[in-house]
Formats: sequence, structure tokens, C-alpha cells
Amino acid sequence: MASAFVFRRAETAEELLFDRSLRTRWRLGLDRALGWLLPLLFLVAIVPILDLVYYIASHALPTLTWTVLTSTNPYDPDALGVPILSTAAIMALAIAVAVGLGLFGGVATAEFLPERSAGWVRTTANMLVGTPSVVLGYFGYFLLVITFGWGLSFLAGAVTLAFFMTPYIFRVVDLAYSSIPRPIREAAYGSGARPYQYVLRVAAPIAFPQILNGVFLALAIGVGETAPIVLTTTQSVIFPPTVFSPVTFLTGTIWENFSQPAGSPALALAFQAALLLMIVVVGLNILVRVISARYQKRLEGLYQ
Amino acid sequence: MSGDANGHDVVVSVQHLTVRAPQRTILDDVSLDFAASSLTAVVGPSGCGKTTFVRSLNRMVELTPGLEVDGAVVYLGQDIYDPRVNPVMVRRRIGMVFQRPTVFPTSIFENAAFGLRLIGEEISEIEREVEEALLRAGLWEEVKDDLDRPALSLSGGQQQRLCIARALATQPRVLLLDEPTSALDPAATQRVEATMQRLKEDYVLVLVTHNVAQAARVSDRIAVLHAGHLIEVGPTAEVLERPRNPLTAEFITGRFS
Repeated sequence: MASAFVFRRAETAEELLFDRSLRTRWRLGLDRALGWLLPLLFLVAIVPILDLVYYIASHALPTLTWTVLTSTNPYDPDALGVPILSTAAIMALAIAVAVGLGLFGGVATAEFLPERSAGWVRTTANMLVGTPSVVLGYFGYFLLVITFGWGLSFLAGAVTLAFFMTPYIFRVVDLAYSSIPRPIREAAYGSGARPYQYVLRVAAPIAFPQILNGVFLALAIGVGETAPIVLTTTQSVIFPPTVFSPVTFLTGTIWENFSQPAGSPALALAFQAALLLMIVVVGLNILVRVISARYQKRLEGLYQ
Repeated sequence: MSGDANGHDVVVSVQHLTVRAPQRTILDDVSLDFAASSLTAVVGPSGCGKTTFVRSLNRMVELTPGLEVDGAVVYLGQDIYDPRVNPVMVRRRIGMVFQRPTVFPTSIFENAAFGLRLIGEEISEIEREVEEALLRAGLWEEVKDDLDRPALSLSGGQQQRLCIARALATQPRVLLLDEPTSALDPAATQRVEATMQRLKEDYVLVLVTHNVAQAARVSDRIAVLHAGHLIEVGPTAEVLERPRNPLTAEFITGRFS
């Protein structure tokens, strides 16, 4: 039933345009209060972080020298040269394995698996992300170190860490490929693209910034992990000569040294390793923002 | 009912095409022939199955899980639903343009060259064929000096003509257009329509549109779909002036008034 709109009463422009009701005043007041409250909460959140940074830096910096960072002399226990190089080597192998598995699994799940199986794979990946890393460490210990007979070694550590990082990369790849606009996918197939041509030529450039994001995220998470490494390898004072040699790791150095007496060089080393890790993680985060912002620009207008 | 192409040079022949979704029948026993050098407009109210119809002409329906296709689509004597036929090859011969422009986030040149790269065309040939396709799509004059520009920087209408060029580059004989102007402004629509009119000399064009006025402007023949049935097909002027089916009349007048 249609009825004509009727003015209930004559309204002045002031009544119409200036809302002075109690509710509106309350809302505006709340709005203003929140404008102050939120920065305050931000401060509350950032203070512990700054304190942590200060605490670590104040213990690490006094004895930090160039030699501490670069010396690989096995008879110099208070140097980080070997852990740094070893960590870089472990991360390189681990990320290579994780990117391989994650890319393969993510693309397969997003593009080729039927919806039901894809759901199962995604659930499994989510469970893996939720698995405590110490459990994964034990898994790596029993499977790789014992069953495969790799011993407490570089290879066992790197592969266990790769298992830990794979689900993160998998999820990002899956999401990146799944969220490619359907019209783009149809246009590619409609032009006669074979599935692999769609995956490589059309989807890959679009998904790339997101995937890169995920790889850096996995690196940042992996480099800070302790349990998968300390359970599958053991300390070493030299860079591993073979993949089956024991290897040390920056978080392992922290793990081994943080119970040393206060004021000892060994404890300072733990703080120096921690400071280094923090800088690496922050650096990775900044890098990923810069790179993905650059690539995102190219895709402007695609997701309209 | 079956549609006659009014000619002997039939390129695509749709025979008893039925498409079923799990809950309902989207297309019910549609038969229609398409002759060379023709532009057939497929019209009908929304939900009548016209998009599904055009998507079944190059097996794009198979990208939607759960649809089941019966009947035959015969292209130059070969049923494209024959199990031995690779849908990829079908889509390379029967091009398609969609509702919204779907350019890829690369350069104008690479967009037009996309299909050619897929088939591994000789590098020396690609440049010539891209120019040819852009000329045919009526975009060459506007973009010839900056082919390296990102395709996403083009206007909507230019993007849509780039999509037409991309579909034409591999030299298909059939071009399917699924409401190609529904996302465009009037000026861009007019240019795409002019392109379609030029193209119908050399190709089999199948245009899906909800816009009867557009069908009247560009097509030689109109096919009317209603609830999955082909209720009328004939020369454009005839169908618009003397529709035989009362539903057609209702649909046309509803849109015109």
C-alpha cells in the first residue's frame, strides 16, 4: 500500500540540519573519548615491547664487537660467527623445501582438487599451524633422527624446520590462488589456456606479492623457532662440514646460554643472539612490506 | 523448436542441447544453427539460460562444477563434446568475451598476444598478428604508440575491445560475446557495437544480451530463450515486428516501453 509522505510538523532548517539530541551528543562524546583512548592503548601495548628491546640491547651491546659477529674460530666460545652462518644455511635449505612443498600443495588445493578434498587438506594445514613446535620437533626426532638414521644433524634440523614452515606457505599460496578474480580465471581458460598455463602465466604474477609475503613471514617465524631445531640437532662449534654433522642455531645459542651466570660473556652472547634475531625479524617484515607494495601497484584496478 | 540458419554454410550446429544443474534444468532441448558471417543475438529475461547457452558453445560450462551437458554442439562437422575432444582446443577455436572486461595485469601488447603465446606462435609472427587483431577490434589507432602501457590503465570500453582483440588474435571462426557492453557507458557501448558490426562480416558472432534495443541495432537474427526453452528464432526485424510467440511479444514490449 502506498501512502504519500507527510511532514509531521513544520521543521526549521536548524532542526533539520543540526542534530542536538541526547543520543547524538553521547555518540559524539564517545567518539571523541575513543579518539584519545586508542592511542593510549597503543602506548600500553608498545611499552612492553620497547622495554624488551631495551632490556635485550642493554645486555647485548656493551660487549658486542665486530669480532663477536664474525669470528668463526672454534676455540672462541663467545662468538656468533658460526651460529650466524649455520642459521643462514639451515634457513636456506628449510625455506627451499618449504616453498617447494607449499607451492605445490597450495596450487594443487586451490586449482585442481575437488572442493571436498581441498577442505580436508586445508583443515590439515590449519592443524599443523596449530601444532606446538615442540611436538613437531619430536616428530622430526623420531622420524628423521631415529627412523631415517640421520642422527642429530643439519639435515634433520633443516627438514624439521621446513615441516614447521610449510603450512604457513601452503596457506598463503592456497589463499592467493583461490582469491584470483573468477573472471580472470575464466578469461584465461576461455582463451584456451591449459591449466598449467593458467597457473604459470596468468595466476602466478597476480599471486606473487601475496606468496612472497608468506615466504618472508615463514622465514621470520622459522628463524625464531627453537624446539624443532634443538630436538633434532646438537650444538657444534664449527660450521657443519656435511649435512649429517651437528649444527648450531641462533635460537639454540640462546637456549644453551641463557642460564649462564649474570655478567658472564656466555650470557651476553645469548642476548646478542636475541638482538640479532630481533633485527632480522623486523628487517624481514619491513622488506616484505616494501616489496609487496611495489608489486601491488601493478595490480591496481584488477580487484575493482 | 529448431532454428534454421537461413544459409548452407553452417559453422556451429547446436543439437538437442540440455544442461542440468543438480536442482533444475537450465537449458531444455535447444537446437540452433549458426552460419558463417552472421550475428545472432540471444535474448531473454534474466535467468532464462542465455549465458549458460553461450558458455556451452565452447565448453566453458565445464568450469562450473555440477553442470551436466547432454546433446551435441557440432563445430565444422565435429561434436565438441566428443570425449576425444580436448576442451582447451575447442576454446582456442571458439573465442569468448565476458560481461566485464577481463584484461590481465600486463601490458596491452601482452594481453593481445596471450592466446598466441599459449599456442607457441613464432615470435616474428606475434607482432603482426597482434596488430591485426587490434585493428579488427577497432583499438589499434588508440593504442599503437604505447603498446607497453599496462592494460589496466585503459578505459573500460578500451579494455573490452582489448579483450575482443585477445580473443581474435588466435584467428577463431566463432566469437562468443556474453553481454559485452553491460558494464560500459553509452559511448563505449557504441564503439563495441561498431566493432561487432564490422566483425560479423568475417566471423560467426553469438551475442548474449538482455538489451533488446542492442539486439535490434546489431544483429541479423534473434533467438529468444525463456526458462531454458528456445521459444522463437528468426531474422531480427521479423521477430521484433511480428513475434509469433506471445511470450516473445511480452518480453520485447516490456523492454521497449
